[in-house]
Amino acid sequence: MDHTSDPNAMRYVIDPNRLDLVEEFRASPLGVHSPDLRKLLARMRWGRPEGRLVLIVLEPGKAWRLSRIPRRRGDPMPFVDDRVFTSLAEAEWHVFKLRWQEMTSVALPAEMLG
Amino acid sequence: MIYKTNEYLGYPDRISVPAGEQVKFQLSSKRPKVKVEVLRLRCGDVDANGPGFKYEIMASNIDGEHACLDQPIRPGSNAVIEHDGVLVPAAAHWSFGAYVYPTRIADNPRAVMGNWCQGSGRGYALELDEDGCPVLVLGRVEGGPVRFVLDVKLRERVWAFIACALDFGEASATVSLIVPADGVRPAAAHSQSFALPATLDVDSGLPFLIAAHHLNGDRQYTAHFDGKIEAPRILSRQLDAEQLRVFECGQRTGTTEAGLVAFWDFSNGISTLAIKDISPNCLHGGLHQLPRRGVTGFHWSGAVHDFRLSPREYAAIHFHSDDIYDCQWQTTCALDVPGDWRSGVYALRLTPASGDPDGQCESYVTFFVTPGRQTKRADLVVVASVGTYLAYANSALRLYQVHFETLMEHVLWLPLDDVFMQENPEIGQSTYDCHVDGSGRAYSSWLRPILNMRPRGYWFNLINDTHILDWLEEKGIAYDLITDVELDREGARALSPYRAMMTPTHPEYFSFNMMNAIMAYQNAGGRHISMGGNAFYWRCGFHPAAPAALEVRRGMAGTRTWESEPGEVHLAGTGEPGSLWRHSGFAPQKLVGVGFSAMINDTCGYYLRTAESEDRRVAFIFEGTGRHEKFGDFGFRYNGAVGSEIDRYDLELGTPRHALRIATSEGLGAGALPTPEEFRTVVDGLDGTQNALVRADMVFFETGNGGAVFATGSITYGMSLSHNSYDNNISTITLNVVNRFLDPRPIVMPAGA
Repeated sequence: MDHTSDPNAMRYVIDPNRLDLVEEFRASPLGVHSPDLRKLLARMRWGRPEGRLVLIVLEPGKAWRLSRIPRRRGDPMPFVDDRVFTSLAEAEWHVFKLRWQEMTSVALPAEMLG
Repeated sequence: MIYKTNEYLGYPDRISVPAGEQVKFQLSSKRPKVKVEVLRLRCGDVDANGPGFKYEIMASNIDGEHACLDQPIRPGSNAVIEHDGVLVPAAAHWSFGAYVYPTRIADNPRAVMGNWCQGSGRGYALELDEDGCPVLVLGRVEGGPVRFVLDVKLRERVWAFIACALDFGEASATVSLIVPADGVRPAAAHSQSFALPATLDVDSGLPFLIAAHHLNGDRQYTAHFDGKIEAPRILSRQLDAEQLRVFECGQRTGTTEAGLVAFWDFSNGISTLAIKDISPNCLHGGLHQLPRRGVTGFHWSGAVHDFRLSPREYAAIHFHSDDIYDCQWQTTCALDVPGDWRSGVYALRLTPASGDPDGQCESYVTFFVTPGRQTKRADLVVVASVGTYLAYANSALRLYQVHFETLMEHVLWLPLDDVFMQENPEIGQSTYDCHVDGSGRAYSSWLRPILNMRPRGYWFNLINDTHILDWLEEKGIAYDLITDVELDREGARALSPYRAMMTPTHPEYFSFNMMNAIMAYQNAGGRHISMGGNAFYWRCGFHPAAPAALEVRRGMAGTRTWESEPGEVHLAGTGEPGSLWRHSGFAPQKLVGVGFSAMINDTCGYYLRTAESEDRRVAFIFEGTGRHEKFGDFGFRYNGAVGSEIDRYDLELGTPRHALRIATSEGLGAGALPTPEEFRTVVDGLDGTQNALVRADMVFFETGNGGAVFATGSITYGMSLSHNSYDNNISTITLNVVNRFLDPRPIVMPAGA
């Protein structure tokens, strides 16, 4: 197994107290990030593809919907919900929040969930 | 509007067609009819933020509605042997077996050898069941087949010999497994006997197969084996499994082996689709759907890595249940390309027929029209990168790669075509992807629908390339278009009519003939405008016996998503070493002055001129621009002319000594990371913020006989051309180069070069 195909190759542990990184990401989901935030994002983005949240491009540059990579090739690939994103930054922030909850099991403060 | 892009699928019989000749299209749909139009593409990019989707509708003989069949894709490779009944067990004894190296044991039984037909329930076969146990399957006249299971599991990726012995006199059958010693594991042998029922029906009346069962009597196959099979053999003698395994198959002159019915020696004809039986019965066969040859066999010593030097060590074939070379669909329509059509990128536009209105349903099949045999040529030729389009054809990286979201640095954006590929994997993926057994895909063919080589498809490669065509049209520059397949088939002759050639955004996959054609052309006075990045990188080949398939072996270096198994770097089709051109002594720097240095995963950069750019030899390039301008700090989609994948100057790797590095990149950051062959030890300081090798260089040099090369060293360069209504410094310098390169006055190589 090499680094780029080992789903467990990222050893960074997300610290649920680092709300400063959440704020940094929220301020600029698609921007240039600090070294600490880059590590956090690399950890969030790494791993087994099965179950990974992805954006389906409905209209290039205009509209996206959330889906997940299915467990097996050939399985259907339904949307996760009805939400249509019209901004990639908004979609990034949404996925970030879902992953934060999934990976830390700690809810973000209410003022960040908006 | 959300388009349904896969209601119609199709592919051409030839990827490029000269004007005046015919190309046939094979289409499939669940809808009974299709409306066909032919488009000549100027810009195939539907993104509203770019130059726009631009095309011309061409009147043709296939315009209008056609009946359309729903044609399935049946992947899976195997061997087929016609035998006139000779391979139906008839003697008192029938012993057969093979070496196997299963790479995926799961889901359903996997056939090894036999004539068993699932539909009729007749015939016989040796298979592995879904748990990996060897099974002898025998048809019966009534009551359904019998399955004799040896209750021992084979392991994935471990060589074993499996065998069956039928003794009709004693009415018994034996199923055996021998696992030769390997590493710390000692040899093991297992065997079990079963009583044969009285009313066997072992003649399916169908060909003998290796690595599949017959699904029915219509040459459709099922239960494809995932893994290697070597030296399948049949003898009409009583032999136990070890005797059958070590049976001396070497032919001695003047001698035949008693009871030898068949012995398929896969080391014979590795570069072909034929399999040879070395028994006196000459039961030769053929391969279906292009399994991989030139793979290490049970007897591989590790002493050689080139199958041509020791074919006997490469006597295995790696079959895959998801191999696909040719969908074998029926032809829907045949386009007679008029002799006066301009060469270019063309596409069939497929929409529902009248009475079936569905404005959202729009699909394409791309092909390339090249100049006719008698057509007067333009001075400039664009060489479309079909090798690259094939290597990336139906890339599923976004679906299945562990690292891909980290590489892209954002939540992955999947076009609806990706959803289609996930739900319909039989369409076959790219040479970046892995087979269902985890082994890398070595082949990609155009005889199947390619979703990301179409308008409305993923933009990387073909769609990006059309931005360059759009710019040429905008500037009124006359050009012809050919593809690199012509370079592969015709060599330098394909380029010789032209004063200048242009390679587009990403000419990454190059065969021996393609490389030599360009080198010969440049040295004969041709001018080459190399507009892309990561160019001339992989040494690959079209398979001589399957000419619609590109073959790629990933080797042990290079930016790659899989790695060749030990000893499997040579191309089965041509025998030459795959991997990087850099490792064959012909780095891209030797051809165009720059070669692959880095991937840009975050922000794109721009160019600044170097001191060398003040040399009067290159003054013409910068006319109309300022000495200290940022070149290309803008651009569609990537926001910078230096991005995606970039190439650099390097004298040691072959950049000509007199080449001028006229501009170099600025503004690359932590997401700019070197390709693995650019470092030998991992140390801190590899990324673009610290590593001076992580850069794109723009170079110019003269070649013999008045020729020259200009190279940009960046994939995203072409997407900056249309910025500000095509009025920008990238457009200006490109136009300066095109104009000078089309000017017949010789470009003089400096003295001492």
